[in-house]
Amino acid sequence: MSMKTAVAPVGLSEEIKAFRDLAEGFAGKELARNREQNDHYPFGILFTDAIRKASEVGFFHVNIPSESGGIGMGDTALAYILEEISKADASMAGVIFTNAAAVEVINQASLDADCSAVYEKLFAQDAFPLSFHSFTAPSEMELPVVDARGRISGKIMFLTLGEISRYAVIPAKSAGASLSYYFIDLGDAGVAKSNTVYSIGLHACPSLDVTFTQVPAMLIGREGQALKYFLAMQSHLSIGAAAIGLGIMEGSFTDALQYTKDRFQGGRQIIDWPEVRMILANMAIEIEVGRSCLEDACSGQDAGREGWEKRARSAAVHIAEMSRRVTNDGVQLLGGCGYMQDFPQEKRMRDAHQSINFLGMPLVRKMEFINGIIAES
Amino acid sequence: MSDINLTKEEKAYYLSQEPLLKHMFQHLQALKKLAHSDKTVIAAIETAIAYARKFNDKVIRPVYKQIDLEVARNPDYLAWDFVQKASEWGLYTLFIPKMCGGTGLNTVAINPFLEELASVCPGLALTVGAHYLGWGALVTCWNFPLTVKMSRMIKEEEQKGNPMLFCAAMTETDKGTDTEEMDLLEKGKPAITVARKVNGGYILNGQKIFITNGHYCTWHMVCAFTDRNKPVGSLVGAMVHKDWKGFSHGRIERKMGQKSGIASELILEDVFVPDEYIAVNLENFPETSTRSRRLLQQMMVDYIISTARFNVAAFAIGLARGAYDTALEYARSKKVNGTPLIQYQWAQMLLADMYKNINIARQTVSEANYAAQLYGISSIMHTPLIAFMEKYVPETVWKLWTPFMTLKLTSWILRKWTYYWHPIDNFQTQTVNSSIAKLTASDIGVLNSQLAMELMGIDGCRHDIGAEKYLRDAKLVNIYEGTNQLQKLNIGNYRIFRNMDEVRVFE
Repeated sequence: MSMKTAVAPVGLSEEIKAFRDLAEGFAGKELARNREQNDHYPFGILFTDAIRKASEVGFFHVNIPSESGGIGMGDTALAYILEEISKADASMAGVIFTNAAAVEVINQASLDADCSAVYEKLFAQDAFPLSFHSFTAPSEMELPVVDARGRISGKIMFLTLGEISRYAVIPAKSAGASLSYYFIDLGDAGVAKSNTVYSIGLHACPSLDVTFTQVPAMLIGREGQALKYFLAMQSHLSIGAAAIGLGIMEGSFTDALQYTKDRFQGGRQIIDWPEVRMILANMAIEIEVGRSCLEDACSGQDAGREGWEKRARSAAVHIAEMSRRVTNDGVQLLGGCGYMQDFPQEKRMRDAHQSINFLGMPLVRKMEFINGIIAES
Repeated sequence: MSDINLTKEEKAYYLSQEPLLKHMFQHLQALKKLAHSDKTVIAAIETAIAYARKFNDKVIRPVYKQIDLEVARNPDYLAWDFVQKASEWGLYTLFIPKMCGGTGLNTVAINPFLEELASVCPGLALTVGAHYLGWGALVTCWNFPLTVKMSRMIKEEEQKGNPMLFCAAMTETDKGTDTEEMDLLEKGKPAITVARKVNGGYILNGQKIFITNGHYCTWHMVCAFTDRNKPVGSLVGAMVHKDWKGFSHGRIERKMGQKSGIASELILEDVFVPDEYIAVNLENFPETSTRSRRLLQQMMVDYIISTARFNVAAFAIGLARGAYDTALEYARSKKVNGTPLIQYQWAQMLLADMYKNINIARQTVSEANYAAQLYGISSIMHTPLIAFMEKYVPETVWKLWTPFMTLKLTSWILRKWTYYWHPIDNFQTQTVNSSIAKLTASDIGVLNSQLAMELMGIDGCRHDIGAEKYLRDAKLVNIYEGTNQLQKLNIGNYRIFRNMDEVRVFE
């Protein structure tokens, strides 16, 4: 028995329900069974078939506006998909999230300028998923430079999906030090890729370091507006990041609950040990609180409520922190088995600790959050 | 003192109230009671720390990340080169007393030594520490002829360039912490590893899991039971050689961290163990009015795992340090919004928190270390005569005394001294302090690793930078040698509720 999805079904559109069911089925069929094998990447094979199928069912098109050829479902639908996928394997959620973050930058830019040429590129063959720096904010990065001919040189560390994507959305500085977003072809001869960077979690959502040498680039939106687009994207995708954290927690709880029923210690089910129940209670409470946060952020965003961005950002930070605690307990309840890769709990703990970095350094995000409130006060 | 209004009787009365001094200031008790504590102990700790730091620089730092990566790539990878190097540096005999053929560095120093190794790589520290767990399990049985023979064998093989490692094999499938606590063992599933007496020895059948160093070890100290349905009171400790007929290795576990410190499955199929390699059969320990066989088994198991617990707690301090060092170095080099991260006050405060955490952990572990030296198996090394002889008598002279050391009488005295003459409160004091140490330090290990990663953002998740490894390594300390939940039960059982007959801890 798995935990029910987070967002309240009240008023949920049939389309979103359909996507949620689709994601649940996809997770069960394509991800859960091969979790350990998929997690072995980069030492094993990347689940490219599953990524292709995710593209075929539209997971990479969810937040592309319908007028630009996408599904145009928005943040709530994306949250449903990410939550369901993350229960089984957050790596695929990382792939979907990274693509969605890149798309959202384009969406934000399209509010300022004509981006039809960029959208057109998206529907070229094998364009999805897009590569993006989904774990770092521009303020934390060593940024490449764009010259007067629109060619990019320099380095980007931890470019997610850089090794499998055809295109990337990246920030670069112009001579005047203004920061803009660019659309680039990662197949260009001027792109030099490192080996896959081995990281703690989300192994099947790989990242690498990339060096650019005179790589042609297409400006996205207006010049010098990268921070504005990034911050707007950050608010939207905070809902997605929160959904990933929640999905990981739910998966961890579901497996811990089942294991504590199955496992005996000192002659009785460990679920009958009060300390075990207390840990399960703490996990369940954190999940319920996480649900409330996410539901509120989604409904606020759907309704366009003033200040929804703050809710979304705080939900992302808070749920990410809770997901570290919950997955840590999820390992603990399985004891030695929880620590072994044969069981999914240790992967969830690793994934949660990497997911906390979606959209940038968590402590920097916290300081930016309070600085914003202070500036308004 | 005449102006202090406190009679002698009042003082005795108030000092008899909880918490007892015996349970409060182990370091002060140690200063008073450990022979030569003022010089020998400090000198041993200084030597151990300096030697460990040199070993870190020369051996561990150049290879530890690569070994971790190799095991991630191929979980069956064995770091034999490291095991060989550690043997060449004498690490597997460093803390074995001179009387047994070792280097004889004071046992109090093994804990800070392991902290140092773990500050770079807890997994490789584990390959050293787990050897001493196996050796310590043998010692705890106080079969002194066997202990002396096997300890000298380690040294002889080391001198020939052949690492000879020991391990303790207790854990069985689906039994977890049951083996460690008699209240759980007697109600749990039947034992899996069984010892059957035959002419000239025992036949062992069964299986052990999660055995650290299993594939590296020449000798395995296997805990078996003569009655699988009544494991309490039927413990047999047998030294089993890796090449004996019927012994084989099963799989190596796929762990989240401490990957270089392998966890092995051991399989025993009709393994014949000659009597001379039986370290203990608890049925040979007579019961008395104050020592039931159940209590004797609990004491024996506890002396072993209590020692293991405060030493794995040293891994936790070490990795908490490793995480802190990595975060500090990173904060000095990383810029956020053009400003060095170290210049942000919130980053400085976080680093101060990490530093504070390390010191809290070390204090609890240090207390447990002293409790072990005062009340555990190691306490014999601190009796004035033994301490004096270990310090001044060369190994060659000890060898001449072998006939005396291997008398049955010697083992009889040592067993009496440890299991019958010591007050029961001694083993309880050690076990509680060890539980407090492991509980505190392991949580701090996880916390500091998380704080480092939080400060470093996605760079904290990169294997090549190094912080993430400490988190993966840290989590195991919450689990092995008894989960932290069991440690809490232990603290309640042997300290808080020990005089409250109405309180049932394991029910």
